Amino acid sequence: MNAAASPPPRHHVIIGNGVAGNQAAELLRDRDPASRVTILTHSRLLFYNRYLLPGIFQDMANWPELLAHPPEHYAARRIHVRRECRVSAVDPRNRLVKLAHNETIPYDTLLVATGGRGHLPEELAEYRPLFHHFGSYEAAMATRRALPERGAVVMLGGDMIGLDLARTLLAIECRVILVTHETTFWPHALTPEERTNALATLVAMGIEVIDGDARGGVAAVEPGAPGLPARRVVFHNGADLYGDVVMPCFGLTPMVEFMVGTGIDIERGVLVSPQLRTSDPHIFAAGDVCQIWSEEEHAYRFYYGYRNVRAMGEVAAINMTGGQEAFATNRVESLGHDAQGRIDSSFWVYDE
Amino acid sequence: MTTMSKTDIQIAICGSAGDGTIAAGDILRNAVAAAGYRVIGFDVYPPEIRGFGKCISRLRISTDQSYSLKRHSDVLLSLDDSQALPHAGEVRDMGAVIFESQPIAPCQEGEHMSARVLPGQIPYAFSMRELSQQATGGGRARNLVALGIIAGLLGLTPDPFRAIIARKFGKQGPEIVARSLAGFQAGFDGATRTFKLDDVFFSPPGQADTAQRVIMLSGNAAVARGCLDAELDTFFGYPITPATSIMERLAAELPKHGRRLLQTEDEIAAIAATIGAGYAGARAATATSGPGLALMSEMLGLATITETPCVVFVSQRGGPSTGMPTKTEQSDLNAALYGSPGDACRIVIAPTNVEGCYRCAGKAFEMAERYQTPVIVLLDLYLSNRYETVTLDESDHAFVLDANKPLPRLEPGETYRRYALTEDGVSPRAVPGDAGHMHVITGLEHNELGRPDDSETMHAAMSRKRHDKLQAALRHPEFAVTRRFGATGRVKVGLLAWGSTFGECLEAMFMAQAQNIPCAALKVVMLSPFPVREVASFMDDCDQVLVPEINHEGQFAQLVQGTLARPVTRLSRVPGSPMPVELILNEIRRLAQG
Repeated sequence: MNAAASPPPRHHVIIGNGVAGNQAAELLRDRDPASRVTILTHSRLLFYNRYLLPGIFQDMANWPELLAHPPEHYAARRIHVRRECRVSAVDPRNRLVKLAHNETIPYDTLLVATGGRGHLPEELAEYRPLFHHFGSYEAAMATRRALPERGAVVMLGGDMIGLDLARTLLAIECRVILVTHETTFWPHALTPEERTNALATLVAMGIEVIDGDARGGVAAVEPGAPGLPARRVVFHNGADLYGDVVMPCFGLTPMVEFMVGTGIDIERGVLVSPQLRTSDPHIFAAGDVCQIWSEEEHAYRFYYGYRNVRAMGEVAAINMTGGQEAFATNRVESLGHDAQGRIDSSFWVYDE
Repeated sequence: MTTMSKTDIQIAICGSAGDGTIAAGDILRNAVAAAGYRVIGFDVYPPEIRGFGKCISRLRISTDQSYSLKRHSDVLLSLDDSQALPHAGEVRDMGAVIFESQPIAPCQEGEHMSARVLPGQIPYAFSMRELSQQATGGGRARNLVALGIIAGLLGLTPDPFRAIIARKFGKQGPEIVARSLAGFQAGFDGATRTFKLDDVFFSPPGQADTAQRVIMLSGNAAVARGCLDAELDTFFGYPITPATSIMERLAAELPKHGRRLLQTEDEIAAIAATIGAGYAGARAATATSGPGLALMSEMLGLATITETPCVVFVSQRGGPSTGMPTKTEQSDLNAALYGSPGDACRIVIAPTNVEGCYRCAGKAFEMAERYQTPVIVLLDLYLSNRYETVTLDESDHAFVLDANKPLPRLEPGETYRRYALTEDGVSPRAVPGDAGHMHVITGLEHNELGRPDDSETMHAAMSRKRHDKLQAALRHPEFAVTRRFGATGRVKVGLLAWGSTFGECLEAMFMAQAQNIPCAALKVVMLSPFPVREVASFMDDCDQVLVPEINHEGQFAQLVQGTLARPVTRLSRVPGSPMPVELILNEIRRLAQG
């Protein structure tokens, strides 16, 4: 009876069910076969491909078509996906994740990969119930249901997520009205000349571009009047316009609220080293939620796009299992044109 | 996602005693029945009264009649994760698991339902407690919030729910009704705001005219209704799970009809009083479970030898002894058939569904009086507590209640022979007060006059009389002692079943037929006297005969083999719950391949 008791399997906990979290989970399973791998997400759905969401405005009606893996994949890979779980806090000292429903989950290593939510400027926050969203399957479906055939969509801001959808909307003969904002073309940072050219391209594509600044910015969003589209956008200069749906497209805000108070360094996102370590040795961050130290720029910065985020998931998994790999990217974040003269973006690149 | 063309949805509500689990199930099944769906439901509850143990209310809602619960539910609603966690796996892929998002007590990893939801299932977390508090000022309406969530999520119209909630809580005053309705509405509104991802959809119910004739009854309620329609005069009983609700219902109903119910001091008194009432000419019955039947066994012999009509409803539960009072079993068959000293023959019938409970209850009185014998109606907990939508036409009420042979006109000086040896074994029965028909009754063996007589000749004659007269019960009017389902002619596998398990057998048979396995099922309702001809004829058609039943000994299989001396394959299990359909189906497949 002298057999040494084997240590309990390590528990890798991942907060977030997106590209980074799932990529990390797959690699953690490979690199640490005896471990427990748990993904925590507030979503009801398993990991699905958000890059395919515009498709639901065309012919992709059923969410199972969006899933990255069939349900049985998770059992086979022993990846425990906990859905409908909201993380309320993290306790780094005791290495516990606290869930909103009063459950505590111990971890050995923790990966924060919660991504970002659609940013809404403070002055528009009170109109949140009147906006239509695109950040999840459920939100996208609600928007689709609100949009009549050949209806009008008002996009405030016009980040690259919204512009991706705009391409689909144009294809199904919807009217797309873009109200420009400083976040137009987010996350691309364009020179004035590049921006002017890009806006001209949008017009050529069929998007109606309205200069938001020239109208003093959006003052209010209201329900439409009888006989008119369902929403009215009012500008500070008194002008207005109508649309069946109004979508805020102002870029993403990292979801880090539950990390406040942990002592982990946070700026806009969770600050991490190139190895994706936070200031706690057991906590890592990856994806749209983190700002990575850039030696070249001597600053923490975000890296967006499917390829970058997936690479971050891989790097995090390697380092959560003892590696020392640094995140590096040679992907040019560029806004260009495709063969048809439409805008094209590295942000939209998705590899199956 | 696909929309089912016909509704066939099973919902399970699970919580602790005191959570209102059973009450929620009751409202739900009545609401969907009122909406025109067919329902079969079964509640599981703990032996403790309150605050301990698991309660589950399961109901299968369908467009067409179902015969059993399904193995997999389409929806599980947890009112208490500590009880419901083991049941998460019962939900099929793409089914819904609904649970509390804000439980009061902290829990360790894995103790919340979100930890058990399988990848193929759809989780829905609702703050039921908070919704209840916001809507009603307290958390007690959490079960009604849960009902609202189910109705909202599945797209059920709320009106039948509101009507039933108002009726159920009406006695507690308008304030309670208003709070209860507010709780339901809060859940309903919350669910309708929730994006539906599961594929559980209701299609429209059946024809409205059919729905109007359908009522919801439990097995015990059907027994009580059968008793009332058979014009039961007196009921004597002593409470015992799972038979008590028969007495409770009759206690409420009999006085309305000028009839009487007496709760006796024990089961011996109950059967003695029942026999006494029967002797006096009243239509009398009692109800009990296995332990009570054991106490009644001696007195049942008295009813046999005195040829006194009496009806005993026996709802079986897990045994022996106190056993498992809140778990179902079919292990009192031997006790019902043989559980008295002497050659104490009797009629034993066993309904297989709720509608059968009604018919058997009424027919039991017909038989008891026509054949002057005790009749045991053998139920079990699953059948007693099972709810079904049943159609009871007016014609179903036509029990033949005046079965007594006319009393003979006595010539001057002639003595009334209470136990006259007749061709069919049934003697004209007089009751106290019938002028000129004074006679003796005794537990001793007796002659035709009823006077003690232990001669070999008389004992043989009377024994034959008591047994032979029962054979006529096999041809009792408008009573099918057996009924065959499925394929006609030769089959690979024949299912031979009795009692509540027959529903599972029928479901399994339909599934096997869908897999091109030639099979049939014989429902055996009359267990004593045994329908030898019918069962033998069925077995003649079967390559293999399978006998599924919920007991360890295979008591029905023993009865069949002992009577017919033919081989059968036994499928005897004691899970404390209904026999899983898949288990029967697997055995059918195995036998079909062999």
